[in-house]
Amino acid sequence: MEQLFDLSLLNSTVRMVTPILLAALGGSLCARVGIFNVALEGLVLVGAFGAILGNALTGNLFLAVLIAIGSVLLFSLLFAYITIHLRANEIVAGVALNFLAAGLTTFLLRTIFSVKGAYYDNEMHGLPAWDLPFLQQIPVLEQLFSGHTPLVWLAYLFVIGLHLFYFKSVAGSRLLAVGENPVAAQSIGLKVRKIQYAAILGCGLFCGLAGAQLSLGQVTMFSEGMTAGRGYIALVAMMLGQSNPVGMLASSLLFGFMDALSIRLQGLSIPTHFTLMLPYVMTVIAMFFFRDKSYLKNTGANSSAR
Amino acid sequence: MKQWKQTLSSLIHPLIALLIGFLAGAIAISVTGTPILQAYQEMWTGAFGNLYFLTSTLARSTPIILLGLGISLAFRSGYFNLGAEGQMVLGAVAAALTALYMPGSGIVKLLAAMAAGMIAGGLWSLLAAWMDAKFKVNLLISTLLLNYIASLFAGYLVTEPFKDTTGSAALAQSRMIEQGAWLPKLFAGMSLHAGFVLAVVIAILLTLLLRYTVFGYELKITGQNPLFAAYGGVNRTRVMILCMLTSGALAGLAGTVEVLGSQYRYIDGSLTAPGYAWTGLMATLLANSNPLGTTIAAVFLAALQTGAMGLERNTNVPLEISSVIQAALILFISARFTYSFLKRRKEEKNNGATV
Repeated sequence: MEQLFDLSLLNSTVRMVTPILLAALGGSLCARVGIFNVALEGLVLVGAFGAILGNALTGNLFLAVLIAIGSVLLFSLLFAYITIHLRANEIVAGVALNFLAAGLTTFLLRTIFSVKGAYYDNEMHGLPAWDLPFLQQIPVLEQLFSGHTPLVWLAYLFVIGLHLFYFKSVAGSRLLAVGENPVAAQSIGLKVRKIQYAAILGCGLFCGLAGAQLSLGQVTMFSEGMTAGRGYIALVAMMLGQSNPVGMLASSLLFGFMDALSIRLQGLSIPTHFTLMLPYVMTVIAMFFFRDKSYLKNTGANSSAR
Repeated sequence: MKQWKQTLSSLIHPLIALLIGFLAGAIAISVTGTPILQAYQEMWTGAFGNLYFLTSTLARSTPIILLGLGISLAFRSGYFNLGAEGQMVLGAVAAALTALYMPGSGIVKLLAAMAAGMIAGGLWSLLAAWMDAKFKVNLLISTLLLNYIASLFAGYLVTEPFKDTTGSAALAQSRMIEQGAWLPKLFAGMSLHAGFVLAVVIAILLTLLLRYTVFGYELKITGQNPLFAAYGGVNRTRVMILCMLTSGALAGLAGTVEVLGSQYRYIDGSLTAPGYAWTGLMATLLANSNPLGTTIAAVFLAALQTGAMGLERNTNVPLEISSVIQAALILFISARFTYSFLKRRKEEKNNGATV
């Protein structure tokens, strides 16, 4: 048992959870204005590709992250235009964007880098590890929080920031108002569409960071479809956490912990397939306890079929 | 005359979307430096060029049609079944194992395998529906999660207990099904099999079901106006459970015909890698959940994919061009912008109502 649960397990949980957490935070912005964003998977993938492309082109990590964010913002803008202006069903548009992201990144991988499958360059550097000096003094936290990239720190800061934004700021409460009752929000003079656009672009920013962490933080490479369903998991984490930043942190950590644990369990004689199943099974079980609050009911599954 | 006009105007929207899709494809092709017209010509040849290519396209469309039909049925009643992939995979593995271990003659094995595939897919889908009806576990999320569990479980079955140990042991796959239990091919030497005919027949049956039966009507109004349906005495839970069951069974059948008609064994990842389930979803969306329309859209999307394969063989354009065209097409078909700009002006006032 002691071999199974130690501090390095928690350390890898903290690291693995970052892209999921960031994407979930982004998704919550959309959910809070009444748009169910299924495109998280695609947006993160575009971010991961943008980061590697930026790194290969400029050789500067800061610029690489900016390029990642920029490319995802462009993609989000398309999503925003199609769902808000052209009034397309957001689930349909999201699924299409996921396809577009998968196709486009693979397509560009082959045409720009002329490789199949994955691109990496030994010359290329990933994001550096930042250790906070005061944490290094404390024995347990030192193990838990060492060797993380700036984006990991940023993700946890965003949890606090977003919480304050939603529940303590004027702009945040306006955003919530748009999601809860667009007509009422309109009647008190809020620019509903503008706020929705801003929320989707904010989501793009978060997904760009998530992608950069994925392709430059955890590894330094891009492979086709490297998000491997993380965007969908982020969606699950978002719904499980009921678009509440702290709730989403908890649900992402649950998933990340199970993910890290499943890798650890492979050392024992349990078939790999079952250990890999663990995060998904746990999430399904968790859904029995934390039911989806109904604020998404009218935008998501139930009214969208025509 | 009026009807003609209506049909025409309903066709204009998809045609514009189609145009935008091919435009997006043209931009992507021009990046690679291949002449655009030549590329599209290669694509056409790769999809429909001769009987061999044509039948390959139809063979590829077979699972997509069945998946699309299943998803469209759930759509019609107002539910998103994002779990078609898992249902298909479980159906495929159940069919493969039944065909391998069922005693009896070839035809018995074939029928038992098809039944097993449909039951496996249907039950897996039913699980999600039951969790939603009984415990309010959101269907959209549970179906998505169940995909991963199903694929991993099927993968486990063919890497551990039922792994093919006769040939080269590197692949995770089951043993080959004996020839008597195969679905017959429609043309000698071509990949098209009887599953395609089955899919088309089911599409016709579904159309009739939706149009002429009480259940079809209940299903439609539940999807269009749940409150009205409840007022009219429709048991919404029953409709959902039945729809999801059938939807899953069709997805399971899609996996089954792939196994019995073209691969003759379950190979891990062979059904998830081509993204059949998502393509099926797209076909449904393209056709607005109309069964016959879904069939045509599925053939069209399959043609895009086989065409892109031909394109990749003969030029330096990667086959992902098909995903680009598909995605652009769906994006703009989902947009309702051709519903006349005047109308939108009016709606500008109730700013924000996205749904």
